[in-house]
Amino acid sequence: MTVPFADHQVSRRSLLRWGAAAGAFVAVTSLTACAGPTGLPGKGTLTLALNRSLVSLDNKLNQFDAAVTVQRAVRQGLTEIGPDITPRLVLADRFELTAPTQWTVHLRPGIRYSDGTPVTVEDVATALEMYSKVQGGFVASFFPEFPTVGKIDDSTFTLDTKKPLPVLDALMANILITPAAANKPAELQGGVGSGPFLVTKFNRGAGTYSLRRNENYWGEAAGVDRVEVQFLAEESSRVIALRSGAVDVIDSITPDSATQLQGLPNITIQRASALRMNQIFFNFRKPAGHPLANAKVREALTMAVDGHALVHDVLVGSVIQADGVVPPSTKGYVKTGEYVYDPAEARRRLASLGATGLTLKIIWETGEFASDASIMEALAEMFGQVGVKTTLQEFEAGGDISTWRQGRGGEWDLLGNGFGGPTGQAINVLQGMYAGTAEKERTRDTYQGYVQPAVASLIAQASSEPDEKARDAIVVKAQQAAWDTWPCVWQFVPKSILARRTRVQDLALSDSNSYPLTDVHLEG
Amino acid sequence: MSTPSVTLGSGPHGSDTPSARASTLDRRRIKRSEAARRRSASRLKLWIGAISALVVIIPILLAQLLPLPDPNAQDLGNRLEAPFSAGHLFGTDQLGRDLLSRVLHGGQISLTIGILAVIVSGLIGVVLGSIAGFYGKWVDVVISRLLEAQMSLPLLMMLLLVVALFGPSIPVITFVIAIAQWPEVARLTRSLVLVEREKPYVAAARTLGLHRMLILLRHVVPNVFKQASLVILLLLAQAVLLESALSFLGAGPQRPFATWGRIISDGQDYVTTAWWMVTVPGIFIVLLVIGVNLLGDGLRDRPRRTKGLVALLSKGKNR
Repeated sequence: MTVPFADHQVSRRSLLRWGAAAGAFVAVTSLTACAGPTGLPGKGTLTLALNRSLVSLDNKLNQFDAAVTVQRAVRQGLTEIGPDITPRLVLADRFELTAPTQWTVHLRPGIRYSDGTPVTVEDVATALEMYSKVQGGFVASFFPEFPTVGKIDDSTFTLDTKKPLPVLDALMANILITPAAANKPAELQGGVGSGPFLVTKFNRGAGTYSLRRNENYWGEAAGVDRVEVQFLAEESSRVIALRSGAVDVIDSITPDSATQLQGLPNITIQRASALRMNQIFFNFRKPAGHPLANAKVREALTMAVDGHALVHDVLVGSVIQADGVVPPSTKGYVKTGEYVYDPAEARRRLASLGATGLTLKIIWETGEFASDASIMEALAEMFGQVGVKTTLQEFEAGGDISTWRQGRGGEWDLLGNGFGGPTGQAINVLQGMYAGTAEKERTRDTYQGYVQPAVASLIAQASSEPDEKARDAIVVKAQQAAWDTWPCVWQFVPKSILARRTRVQDLALSDSNSYPLTDVHLEG
Repeated sequence: MSTPSVTLGSGPHGSDTPSARASTLDRRRIKRSEAARRRSASRLKLWIGAISALVVIIPILLAQLLPLPDPNAQDLGNRLEAPFSAGHLFGTDQLGRDLLSRVLHGGQISLTIGILAVIVSGLIGVVLGSIAGFYGKWVDVVISRLLEAQMSLPLLMMLLLVVALFGPSIPVITFVIAIAQWPEVARLTRSLVLVEREKPYVAAARTLGLHRMLILLRHVVPNVFKQASLVILLLLAQAVLLESALSFLGAGPQRPFATWGRIISDGQDYVTTAWWMVTVPGIFIVLLVIGVNLLGDGLRDRPRRTKGLVALLSKGKNR
């Protein structure tokens, strides 16, 4: 019997039911797809998420900690700072002090760039020239003077200075060598290097770089095929990316993030001490007569800061309060004093010095150091306790804080800033921060306007002292002299904290908060 | 054809009227009617909207009077305290500051910026929209193209750019949100004025020799303002959201001012260990935005002329 057609008619209700069921099915399957991690790194690809934008694979202008790892994977220096904080040979196989003002260097045989061309003496000479020509450069600030290259043969040359420069082997670890024709007195973006990786793609604005293993590498081949570098400014985003497996390594994380990640399967936390000082540095460009131009006012202000609370409560014990002007891990460090918290005394001293009713403007760039905003807000509260008003100005990453730091953007009183000691030598850190002169200040090449002739003179003496013992003695004096000028309202030495997926093996985090990418291997 | 009279059930008035006869339009059917359903839905929206918005707005307005700690007073020894801990109903943040106090005081900033922004954008929108609609011709072309050009720009990017150029102060943020929102109001006002200007009272006013500007200000604008003001109310929610988005992205008022966006932004880093830092301000934003939107929707959907039905019902009752 034929069933009447009318019985099979689809009612509006059943149509809606079926429609709803189909919609639910589509939604559930889509959500299931979304729930799993997407964009996972490939088997042989290591993905790094940096907290600051890697604007260049060159270090002429900037060299924040995590950048070193990537920069050194592409470009190399004659030497590098090893895990024991002493210089070791890379492109050179001989680097010797042959006279008080002369070092003799021999290039390692067979060293080549990724395009197969050899590394030459001319490349070294050009590199030194380009670093010296960059105004306001980070690396240049460590050099009391740039050496000149005297070619002896195709692979041997001398580095000559006017005054003795006994730590030149450590300093040269910061000069990255590039083919002379491709080098410029500016930050280089892509280009050719002699390192274990080569750049295949980059986007400076987004801070992303794609690296591939350099098959022509003169040394032992890198352990991973590819490296992807990403920039994720938000710490929470980096933590989530690591947890989901979208990235393999995140560095310079806060202790709070480390707490979140601690104990999670497939995630390992690594810690190291640091060759870095994080500071709340005074603006030394204040005119004479301004309260901050007086060291006693600066000292009184330090007494308003509860360093113990900052270290233990805000930074959860992940840092140590500084008791000197250079990081304790550096060679030549000496304790020069202590920050004392005494708000009543701070108030009394400020009143006796006529510095009442002070208003301080604190500036910093987002991500300058872990928990930076919390520290600044805590400082504002502490200054408020001694009657000092504060205004805070946070600059977004990539903003114009560098113009402000040079005193060209606007008026400020305190700067939140980190300063690394990439050579591991106290003398170089002193040179970078406290060796400012009036001449340097004309081109704004001093550290926040710090020009103290007595301190600069001691640093100059130490830099040119060939005798190690005598040099160390002067370095001690220079540190004390710098401390006595009360350059920072507070400073601390961070511990480097890095989190990685456990598939990442052989990652040797050093005190410089970087690690050799070539040694890293991926499991599975 | 006679008009059927209305009987409302078997009430005393209905049954007492001898001329009354049964009608299909009884109370039950009226209740089920589309108009009645819409009316009850709009009433529900009004109630839920008002309650949601007031739950947020009243504590914000009373923040100074409530026994709360200073929103910026830190207690580093008691950081990240969970809600309902001693003295902290909503817990504390990463610097030991009372979260309830920060959310309420932050709400004052967010609401102030939002209200000021909608007032300014409403003013600009109503003025330019009514001028465009009433005068037409080249004035309309210029204003319409201007608002279309602005609406084609990505809103958040534009706001971030302006804040980056002029600095993240409260007046700047208020102004940029106001500038971002005026096209919505202007477009609606223009379309309302286009309808109004064709009405006989406008022609009558013209015939009486009233100046065009006077007609616009005295007669046309008051007639469209009520409808335009509903859009302005809806924009308040958008303004609060924009302010929170700017603060979240770091372009809000500078620290230590608490704003909802900043509290959430700061709380991101503690989302797995101190969930309340993002949840509490998030709930406040959700309640306010939903509340204001429902309130606006309810006011918009509310039946405008109920006189006819009321008269009809009374007539039926009196029979």
